Amino acid sequence: MPLEFFLLLAAALFCIGIYGLITSRNAVRVLMSVELLLNSVNINLVAFSNFLDRQNINGQVFTVFVITVAAAEAAVGLAIILAIYRNRDTVDMEQFNLLKW
Amino acid sequence: MDVANLASQLNAGAILPEGAVILTLMVVLIGELALGRASAARWTPYVAIAGLLLSVGLLCLQWDLTPTLSFLGSFNADKLSIVLRSIIALSTLVTILMSIRYVEQAGSSIGEFMTILLSATVGGMFLCGAEELTMIFVSLETLSIASYLLTGYMKRDPRSNEAALKYLLIGAASSAVFLYGLSLLYGLSGGETHLSAIANALAQGTNHLGLLIALVFVIAGISFKIAAVPFHQWTPDVYEGAPTPVVAFLSVGSKAAGFALAIRLLTQAFPAVVEQWQFIFTALAILSMVLGNVVAIAQTSMKRMLAYSSIGQAGFVMIGFVIGTEAGYASMIFYLLIYLFMNLGAFTCIILFALRTGTDQISEYAGLYQKDPLLTLALSLCLLSLGGIPPLAGFFGKIYLFWAGWQAGAYGLVILGLVTSVISIYYYIRVVKMMVVKEPQEMSDVVLNYPAINWTPLGMRPLQVGLFVTLIATSIAGILSNPLFTLVNNAVVEVPHLQTANAAKTPMAILPTTTPELPAPLVSNSDSTAL
Repeated sequence: MPLEFFLLLAAALFCIGIYGLITSRNAVRVLMSVELLLNSVNINLVAFSNFLDRQNINGQVFTVFVITVAAAEAAVGLAIILAIYRNRDTVDMEQFNLLKW
Repeated sequence: MDVANLASQLNAGAILPEGAVILTLMVVLIGELALGRASAARWTPYVAIAGLLLSVGLLCLQWDLTPTLSFLGSFNADKLSIVLRSIIALSTLVTILMSIRYVEQAGSSIGEFMTILLSATVGGMFLCGAEELTMIFVSLETLSIASYLLTGYMKRDPRSNEAALKYLLIGAASSAVFLYGLSLLYGLSGGETHLSAIANALAQGTNHLGLLIALVFVIAGISFKIAAVPFHQWTPDVYEGAPTPVVAFLSVGSKAAGFALAIRLLTQAFPAVVEQWQFIFTALAILSMVLGNVVAIAQTSMKRMLAYSSIGQAGFVMIGFVIGTEAGYASMIFYLLIYLFMNLGAFTCIILFALRTGTDQISEYAGLYQKDPLLTLALSLCLLSLGGIPPLAGFFGKIYLFWAGWQAGAYGLVILGLVTSVISIYYYIRVVKMMVVKEPQEMSDVVLNYPAINWTPLGMRPLQVGLFVTLIATSIAGILSNPLFTLVNNAVVEVPHLQTANAAKTPMAILPTTTPELPAPLVSNSDSTAL
């Protein structure tokens, strides 16, 4: 399979992630969209690493770091959502309007 | 393989300052667990301060060493990174001084606060020297995730929760976009992750469009970190909701780390499209200066006003970045150094006022001079310095920036910078006037009921120390600006890739065109230091 297929898959996943990020009202869904964005990057990195960089596999090492950081980010994100749910009894993004500019 | 040999190969001595911070972090974390939360409030901040002082001391000792790449080229401990790492460590230091009383009064645990703040510092310091994509990403995320946690630290306060959620979602999305840019960069360079290797690989390639797409994604991520318009929407919300000491750290430490990332990544990995990124940053600088300073006028909350003012200040700093000359980079880092003291000074004053009265509204400052002259004096000096009134430090910072811009021929940017500076002086002076000029009968209610000045409660003495340190630095850094500027200049001159970014531009008018082998930076440096 040519490299382009993988890049197209990653780009499509990235666009779905951005779409979910903009349209979701539930904070957990927004967090899931962010995970989609990070996973599209992972596909990109692994594809490049497999096609262009077979000796050093820097891209695959990078992917391991991305997955780790994504896990940390999701943990912190869920913790914050939990804290806000305890205070406000909702995770609806439209309800979070205490801070206005 | 024995450990000492491995350490010498990796050149691990370069990260000793970070090692000191990490060690302090572990001591604070384990010590708090072992000795209990009640006693931790009394000793953890001082341990953290000692660790940061040690770290700054180690950075000073490294100044004269020849810059070397460590960890197989992942980390560059050159003078530029030493200056920027010192800025971040110092900003954490002053933030700790002002946060002890604040966290104590809010009834939260101070040991955990110190731990998270120190991990943010470690992330920022590593980011300043990172030369490899994985390293850049991991240190950037260390800084970011710790910042999200700090923002949401007041977990019973719905405003702090909301600020943290907004910051986390926007931050995570922007770092994912940044990461997508990095992955494209990795692919375009044919599998390189070191910045210099990427630049070499890209110089041979012809895929200009792909490179531009990667550039746009990367700039979006960086602009989020430095809060440049139009990637600034999180700033006012986060600044208003987050605990004030955290805001102080975000506005100085985190922003300095963002600029460090911008300098390293853009000048080193994107020399092929230097015109384009300078153009994008010019647009960002113009938008930031105009929007930041104009919207700040309309604010009624002091924290929100400083949020917009920090957007405007980032615009000024970007002038030094886009002109791409040695003097530009030097004046930009010099301004960050000055900005550290004046902005943290202003935040110290706001925290002090909020601790005594419990409000952030600008109108509540009316008539403060009658009740608390010291606070009035300190806040006035810091705000006037932010506005750029001579002979305070901010004036010299701006002079260097604008002069460097003028020399490089960026006349439009400099004139816009001057105009928006005048606008900024208006809203800073408005606060000063509110505090000083009002008659006793015009005093606000909170100032009428102002409590007696008392420095004895736990954590007030460090706050006082922080107030005096920033105040003195703001007052005299302007007069002593020449040695400081020479120091920053030395840091910039020795970085080779900043000169290549310069060489790609058309030579400046002051350069003698007949001797092209003359090193351009020396000429522009001597001119601007002679000012």
